Amino acid sequence: MARLATAWAIFQGLLLESLPFLLLGVTIAALARWLVPQAAWVRRLPRHPLLAPVVGALLGFALPACECGNVPVARRLLASGAPLGTGFGFLFAAPVLNPIVLASTWAAFPDQPWLLFARPLGAFVIAIALSALLGLMGERALLEPALLEERRLTQPLAEVGLLERGSGVLGAAPIPISPRPSSQSISLSDVLLHSGREFLGLLVLLVLGCALAAAVQSWLPRAWLLAVGSAPTLSVLALMLLALVVSVCSSVDAFLALGFAAQVTPGALLAFLLLGPVVDLKLAGLFTVLLRPKAIAVTALAASLLVLLIGQWVNLVQL
Amino acid sequence: MTLRLRWSSLSLPLLLLLWGWVMVWSTASGRLDLLLRSVYHPVVAVGGGLLILIGLLQLRLLLRRKRAGQVSQTLPRGWWLTALVALAIIVFPPQPSFNDLASSRPSSLPEAPRLAFVLPPEQRTLTEWVRLLRTQPDPSLHAGAPVSISGFVLKRPGEPAQLARLMVRCCLADATPSGLPVLWPEGFDPKPDTWLEVKGKMVTQEHDGALRNVLEPSSLKVIPRPDRPLEP
Repeated sequence: MARLATAWAIFQGLLLESLPFLLLGVTIAALARWLVPQAAWVRRLPRHPLLAPVVGALLGFALPACECGNVPVARRLLASGAPLGTGFGFLFAAPVLNPIVLASTWAAFPDQPWLLFARPLGAFVIAIALSALLGLMGERALLEPALLEERRLTQPLAEVGLLERGSGVLGAAPIPISPRPSSQSISLSDVLLHSGREFLGLLVLLVLGCALAAAVQSWLPRAWLLAVGSAPTLSVLALMLLALVVSVCSSVDAFLALGFAAQVTPGALLAFLLLGPVVDLKLAGLFTVLLRPKAIAVTALAASLLVLLIGQWVNLVQL
Repeated sequence: MTLRLRWSSLSLPLLLLLWGWVMVWSTASGRLDLLLRSVYHPVVAVGGGLLILIGLLQLRLLLRRKRAGQVSQTLPRGWWLTALVALAIIVFPPQPSFNDLASSRPSSLPEAPRLAFVLPPEQRTLTEWVRLLRTQPDPSLHAGAPVSISGFVLKRPGEPAQLARLMVRCCLADATPSGLPVLWPEGFDPKPDTWLEVKGKMVTQEHDGALRNVLEPSSLKVIPRPDRPLEP
């Protein structure tokens, strides 16, 4: 019974701490939708396989939030027709590449400057690799159906076809994309209704993710995960598993890592700081508003493999 | 039918208001003191206030649209789950067992945000004592120092009970225990999760072939859990 009460408290802590960041993300997405409804600039972002995720990752400096807040903004970007690479670059790297997270990493590890470079660099590498990999799957197999439908409304008929887009005139020339006249722009009331619905939709998934993270944390002794701290490969794997389970925001995970930094290998420490912002139990539900289940599985597996390799490489160099 | 339509269309702003209320009320009632580090409390309160504002705006909008006959009835999937969770949060306050939480976590103590070692010994908190003993591990340096601290009883399986505190960087999910060994008086059975105020002095004791500092109480007093039991 005591454990159940503790799990309930952890659940409340995780949820109440995440809610303001989720709201921040939804608000930014809503403001973007209201101020620039057609968002033509988004579609002009680079589509180059390397440049697109880098640009998306750098957009993180405009949104100093953790991974929960990034999901609605990434969805807005993709729905507005942003190149896939940019959307995924933002989704996977922006939770690390923002001023708050970089400052907290520096504050937690002032005596380990390599970490301050390795963390953003690793986030870039992961974002580029995941974007390239997911790009191979094709939009239809990749994106959640409602998002795909919304995204196709912003794409010219020449690119997506009439039936896929669900609207248009047979035989007509591709419709040039131009911003709507201001008289037809989306009203604030529409944006408010949409963002309220989006917030509640994401909240359902966040509740499920927090419940899962709280349950696993309460019944899996953390000492088991840290017991293998000095073994090069096992320590990386253990800290990756810990990042998945703990599900804390990227803005504070460096301080948490500080607590066990002395007990684990440097590669394991970096793995913890890299994997958490990309994949964790709390995010599992939220990703379903962006990706199909198969794409989520590919993301989780590929991110884990990449982080394992990076962690191993760091241990090889440092040990 | 009319009633169902009305409720379904009202549920969206009402849910936003409910969650806004949960966030503001959790902050105002002091519940967050048990869950989050204090620096996040205003963030939660402001987020709740914003949700209430959005909910009220939506309600006003809905009433205006209703007059115009344009009321939407679409609801997010699983909205009832969020309503149940919000009500459960209000009805069932958090009652974590600190002993249970700390038992499954290693005592790896982060560095202090600021050093407080210049404080007189009797003014140091439990966490400051643990930090000091780790950075200056020579037990003879602290032998005889007066101690006045409070904490909860942490009893890990197979280990003697300690007096402990939980530190958080973010929320309970990352809570890390810091514990101090205590020479419990004869016949005193420290019960897990009991909060104690202990006065005494630091002494040395041989443990696994090495000397270590142990707290020898001169007085033990059971106290209620402090309003802010978590330490940064």
